[in-house]
Order: sequence, then structure tokens, then C-alpha cells
Amino acid sequence: MAPGDPVEQYEDVPIYGSKAQRIRSYKRTAQKLGVDRPLFYFQFSSAAYPDTLYRVTNYYERETIKRLIARYGNWELIQDYWHKIHEMEGKIEKLPDSLDRNAVIKLRQNTTDLFVFHKPQKIDKAFKNINAVLDNKALYSAIYKNQKNLADAYQKVVSEPSNYKHYLPKFAWHGLDNQYHIWFSNFFTGHFGYSYQDNQKIETKIWSHLRWTLLLNILALLIVFSISIPIGVYSAVYQDSWLDRWGSLGLFMLYSLPSFWIATLLIIFFTTPEYGMDWFPTYGLGDVSENDSFWDIFWMRAYHLVLPVFCMSYASLAFVSRQMRGGMIEVFQQDYIRTARAKGLLEKLVIWKHTFRNALFPIITLVASIFPGLLAGSLVIEVIFSIPGMGKLTIDAIYARDWPVVYTILMFSALMTMIGILIADLLYAWADPRVSFAKKEK
Amino acid sequence: MLGLIQEYHLQKKKSNLLKRKKHIETVETNAYWARVSREFKKNRLAVWSLRFLYILLFIAVFADFLANEKPIYCKVGGETYFPVIKAYGVELGLDEWPKDLATANWYELDYEAVLWAPIPYSAKTIDFKNNHYRSPFGPQRVKSNKFWHWLGTDELGHDIAAGMISGTRTAMLVGIIAMTIATILGIFFGALAGFWGDDRFKVSRLRFCLNILAIPIGFFYGFKARPLAWYEGNFGSELFKSLGILLLTFLLFNGIAFLFERAKRGGKIITIPMDLLVMRFIEIMNSIPALLLLLSIVAIINDQSIIYVMIIIGFIRWTSIARFIRSELLRVRRLEYIEAAEALGLSKWKTLFRHAIPNALTPVLISISFGIAGAILLEAFFSFLGITNGDVTWGSILKTARRYPSAWWLAVLPGAAIFMTVTIFNLIGDGLSNAMNPKKVK
Repeated sequence: MAPGDPVEQYEDVPIYGSKAQRIRSYKRTAQKLGVDRPLFYFQFSSAAYPDTLYRVTNYYERETIKRLIARYGNWELIQDYWHKIHEMEGKIEKLPDSLDRNAVIKLRQNTTDLFVFHKPQKIDKAFKNINAVLDNKALYSAIYKNQKNLADAYQKVVSEPSNYKHYLPKFAWHGLDNQYHIWFSNFFTGHFGYSYQDNQKIETKIWSHLRWTLLLNILALLIVFSISIPIGVYSAVYQDSWLDRWGSLGLFMLYSLPSFWIATLLIIFFTTPEYGMDWFPTYGLGDVSENDSFWDIFWMRAYHLVLPVFCMSYASLAFVSRQMRGGMIEVFQQDYIRTARAKGLLEKLVIWKHTFRNALFPIITLVASIFPGLLAGSLVIEVIFSIPGMGKLTIDAIYARDWPVVYTILMFSALMTMIGILIADLLYAWADPRVSFAKKEK
Repeated sequence: MLGLIQEYHLQKKKSNLLKRKKHIETVETNAYWARVSREFKKNRLAVWSLRFLYILLFIAVFADFLANEKPIYCKVGGETYFPVIKAYGVELGLDEWPKDLATANWYELDYEAVLWAPIPYSAKTIDFKNNHYRSPFGPQRVKSNKFWHWLGTDELGHDIAAGMISGTRTAMLVGIIAMTIATILGIFFGALAGFWGDDRFKVSRLRFCLNILAIPIGFFYGFKARPLAWYEGNFGSELFKSLGILLLTFLLFNGIAFLFERAKRGGKIITIPMDLLVMRFIEIMNSIPALLLLLSIVAIINDQSIIYVMIIIGFIRWTSIARFIRSELLRVRRLEYIEAAEALGLSKWKTLFRHAIPNALTPVLISISFGIAGAILLEAFFSFLGITNGDVTWGSILKTARRYPSAWWLAVLPGAAIFMTVTIFNLIGDGLSNAMNPKKVK
């Protein structure tokens, strides 16, 4: 599905060395990555496509064959044509050195081009070039038989198309030995495969990045909840005071400010000497050596984390305090609060013991729902501040088309979201005994 | 109830009553709308946001007349031209530029009379004399004040004011296209879940089986049977054709089912728990992190055009609209007039489309308005990361700001535009939800 040849991305197939060596090395890598197997448990395609196409290991050859089938629909003839190209290539490899080198190189080039050409014009042109090279008498006598076979095979493909086969559905069963099954079962046993970029195991890659994301998020969450809960309570207690009204507007604005804009502004105004406010570092987490004392490292990290953590927390700060305020106001209108006040309870007790605890329930569930958003939330900030966390890893992997890493992260965040929803539901039932997931009787 | 019985009679015969019924209906809907708009108008912020939105829409529609390197009207060599309008014709293939104008530099022609656009630059016009970040206030090498870069330039000499106007158009397009798709999908799935619920969707066994069968068959003939068209054709139009074939297959199979049912050979009636199915589907959609999914899809499509981002956003963001419609229809379907419509023998589909959906539609406006804000923000973030390219957008201008911190105008202006647009849509959504909240109406 994913574009590009994973094998070539993973390992530079040696350009030097004999052809057989190259093919062997390619096959080994393909086996390691598991791409030499069928994609899925079954294949539902048109009758024109063979169900054994995955056995053509080379990605580009496979793609060319697919396109040839799309155009002509006669797999048997295309297979024959393909064998003839391979035969011709093998023959060219074995040509004696006494022949005109330039002509041989040209011949080889045009023959290998046939592996990737699928448009008739291009194939015709390659054949024309081959014929032009064969003006050379010695070369002609050595190769003409293969050349003729090849040209005949191609003519047969073109002249006897069977496009009707595209309209016949075909179902083929591949069994358990397929890419999806292997990936899936590996995923659940903790083997995520190898990154295409640096051959590293994905689990080590993810763990080394995950700690920064966790650090960022835990810091941001602590700040958000320790500031926004008092704000929410205060603005609910002094509801409709001027501070509450202006505060609400301010928080609303804060919530709408796109964090990538704020981060850019902060970087431009506070991390460059341009405007005389070069107070913070621009990128990364600072260089620390192993000899530095704990406090040195601590201050270095803290200094670098100020801006990212601020950018991550301000929006949720506004959101959580609005939720807190709303929850408090709703509880204030309940009868039991009126009762508590009527019996002469201290206002302080009414607020903190009776209202606050009840208003906290939605916030508890909020914590659970923030949990899956952690990754996406810090993606923006990590990219802008170049912090080597999960978000940066994701973006880099997508840019580099490093699919195993991308799939693993996608799968993880989907799992995290579902677990988050589950935890939120459970917490809700735990915090509010009126909520029950048992089936209601009618 | 009364209105409906009237309607029933009217449909049978009397045409003069038809007018009266329409009159009654308009009065009724007007009353509801009048109430909503009265409540909406009390909210000053929302009203101002709406006015601001009109301005943005005006800019988006007339972008080519507000910022263009071609003059709106000019007279060259005794001939009168309207180059901006003519450009539309040329783009559509209806018109051609005269020879001397086809490759001409518009700024250096000898005009006898000329009327420039308010900003005489297109978003992609490169002003070589004013490249390398000219400040709006700084020295600029321009012929006259008419050609002053009011919002400065970037590294290559693109006019930022023109870029901002082009960005407005993109932002509005993102909002409209993404939310149109999301609304259609949302209404469809929401109606399925909300109107039929778990126990009201009854189909004959034959129709059920035929529809299940239609999925692989439609998929095969739509997507699998035309490989050549998919390889060589344009992605968008081929997708359109394939979806058309899929839809036709469903129509055909349902037609067959209809014929059998009329002949009373449909088999036993079975109930499908639509609500359950749709809600589980929505949960699955929601558990996929939207940002990561979007990033991966854009990478796999391998086409960085912004239109795909818009479409994919639409396909991701429908779930909230579906939830809105569902909960609204759960309420509406228990109302008396739906019962009456069914009692009068109207088919389920007719009841749904004529009576239930129109009454459940208004709250969706709230969801759409928040959805547009989210879509604009997401698109801006994408352009900011540089994943989409092509058109000049607010996000892409903001991206260039980081290369040269001194150019504050590159950072401040596009971000402020994103912020304001997102905020006005949020405020409109807020105003609408307050205006439609029946608790607030006294």
C-alpha cells in the first residue's frame, strides 16, 4: 500500500558486486522485513491477476508487472515475456570482454529499463535502441537469439490481450503466513519490527523518545490543574463580578489562540537578539555532558522547557478552568447547597466541602480524556521547539516514509484513546454512583 | 397534527389550499427562526463575528479583484481589456491572450489608461526589487505609493498582503468543502442511528442479503476491475467514477429487492440495530487520532494538493455532526407529528426526509460552525508544517517567518488572521447554541 520500495529504503542494496550477489542481498532484506509474503489472509481481485505475484520479490518489477497486467490482462504471456527479459539480462552478463564495451553497456541499460517500463511507447523505444545497438555484427551474433525471443514474447503480449479477465472476480486464500498476520501478532507480543531509516528496533526508538513526551506532558498537566482549578473555583464563587467577566473573555481568547502561532511568536520575540529580549533558548533541550552535576542538568533542562511547557499548557488551562467554573456553578444551584447554607454552615465549608468535591467529578473524567490527546497535543510543540519526543518522531517518520514506525505509533495512539475512554467511563461510574452501565429494565 | 391532516388532504386534491398550507408553514418556521435570530442578536459578540464573517467571505469571493498583478481594466494600443476577467476565460479555455500580452510583464506595459486592483500583486508575484524581507514601514523601491507593499514582503519578494488575501480564500474553501462533506455524512449516519434506533430498522431477509452482497460486488467493479484507469487516470475523477459505480450497484440490488418484495418473496423480516452499529462505528472513528491519520493519508496519497486535505478533514470530522443529529432525532421521532405522519401511512423515508430531518437540522449549525473553526485550524497547521504546498496560505506564510526573525510582519499577521477567523466561528457557534437553547428563552 505504502509507496516506495521498503527494501531499498531499509538497506542500500550494493551497486557493486555481481548481479547474483545483489539479488541475494535484496532477498535477505525482504525476508527480514517480511515483505516477501502475501499482504493479507486473502486476496480479492480480478482473474487477470495471479495470486502468486508476491513471489516476485523485487518491488519495482512487481509494480511493472501489475501495470502490464492492467493494460493487457494476459498473465501467462507476460510471465513468459518477463522470463525472456531475465534470460536476456543473464546472457548480457556473460558476454565476452572482447566486444565493444560501450555497445554492451547501452544494451544492458536498455534491457534493464524493460523491468520498469510499462507504457507501450517507452517499451517500443527501448526495443528500438536495442536494435540500433545490434548493428554491431559481433554483438548481434552473440545475442540475436535472445533478442528475437524477447521481441516475439512482447509482440505476443500486445497482440493477444485478454482484458475480459478484469471483469471476472477471483478469491484466493493465502493462509496465516501473510504480512498482516505477522505484523499483528508481533505487535501484540511486543516486537514492532525495524525502522527503515536506521535499522533500529522500533521499541528502543519509541522508548527513547517517549520519555521527553511524558516529561513535557506531565509538567504541562501539573501546571494546568494547579492553576486552573483555583481560577475556576474563584470565578464561580465571585460569579458575574468584573474579574469573572473579563477573566472569562480572556480565557476564551486564550483558548482560541493557535498554539503553533504563539510558539512561533515566542521564538521570534524571546529567543533572538533582534528585539532585545533574547531570554530563552530557541531549540532543543540543551547540551549536557555526563560530568555535569544533577542540578546543572536540571537547570539546563528547565531553562529549555519553559517555553514549550507554557505553549502546551495555556490552551488547556483555559479549557479546564471553564469546565471547573461551569461545574461549580451547576452544583451551587443544587438544593443541598441551599440546605447547607440555610443551616448556617461556614461559606468556606460550603465551597470546599460540599460544592468543590461534587464539582470535581467532570474534572476527573477530563484527566482521562486528556490522556490520549497527549501525543497529538505535544506534536506541534515538539516539532516547533525541536524536542526529540514522540511527536517529532512521528513527523520525521512520515517525512521519511518510515512506515513501520508510523504504523506502530498510530496503533499505539488508537489504543491509548480507547483505554482513555474506558478509564473515563469507569471513573465516571466510580465518582457518581448514579451512573450505572448495567442494562436498564424497562 | 392539524397541519398534517390538512397537508394530507391537500396532497390529494385541493390546489388553493396548497398556498394556505405553505403560508402556515412559512409562518411557523419563521416564528422559530425569528426567535433564534432575536436571541442571537442579543449577543453582541456573535453579531459582530457574523459581520466580520461577511467581510471574510467578500474577500474570499473577490480575491482576484482585490489582489492581482493584472490590472482590472486597461487600455493598451487602442484596445480595451479587462485582464482579470479575461484570465478566468483563459483558464477555462474559452478565451486566449493576444500575442503581445501572453508573455508580457504587466507592470511594464505602456498603458493609455489603467485601473489596478487595490493590491497590484498576486500572491505569487515576485517583486525582484523588493526581495529579502522589506518591512511595511521601511524603505521600499517602488514606482509610486500605489505599488507600496502595505504588509511587507518575504525573502523572494512576494507581497504579503496578496498572500493574506489568497489565504482567506483557502481558509474559507477549507471550511466550506470540509464541512459540506462532513455534514452530508453526518446527517446520513446520524439519521440512520437516531431515527431508526435499535429496533425500528426492519428489512426483508432478501434485501439484507442483497445489500451485503452488493458491498464486494460494487467494490470489485468500482475499484478492482479498472486497474488501468486507476494507474493512468486522474485520482480525483477516477475516485468519483468508482464511487458512482459502487452506488449504482447498491441501487440495482435494492431495485431487485424491491421487485421481489412486491411479489411477496422477500423472506422473513429481520431487525437491524442501526443505532448500535453506527455508534460503534463513530467510536472507532474517534479513537483514531485525526492529526496522525491525516498526516499518514497525505503521505500515502503522495499528492500534496490542499484539496485532498479538505476532503479528508471532511471524512474525519463528520462524527460530531452525526452525534448531534442522532440525539436530536431521538427526541424528534417521539413527537406527535411524526407519529401522525406514520399513522397517515407515509413511508419511513418520506417521514424522515420531509418531517424529521428538517426539524432536527438547526442544532447542526452549531456543530458546523465549530467544525469550520477546527478545519481551518487544522489546515493552517498543515501548511505551517509544509506538508501541503501549492497555494499561498496563512499557514505557509507563518512557516516562512521562522527563517528570519526580524520580519515580525510574517509572524504576526497570518497568525492573527487564523486566530480571528477561528475565534469568530467559535463565537458564532457559541451564540447559536445560546440562541437555540430552549432553557434560555423566556
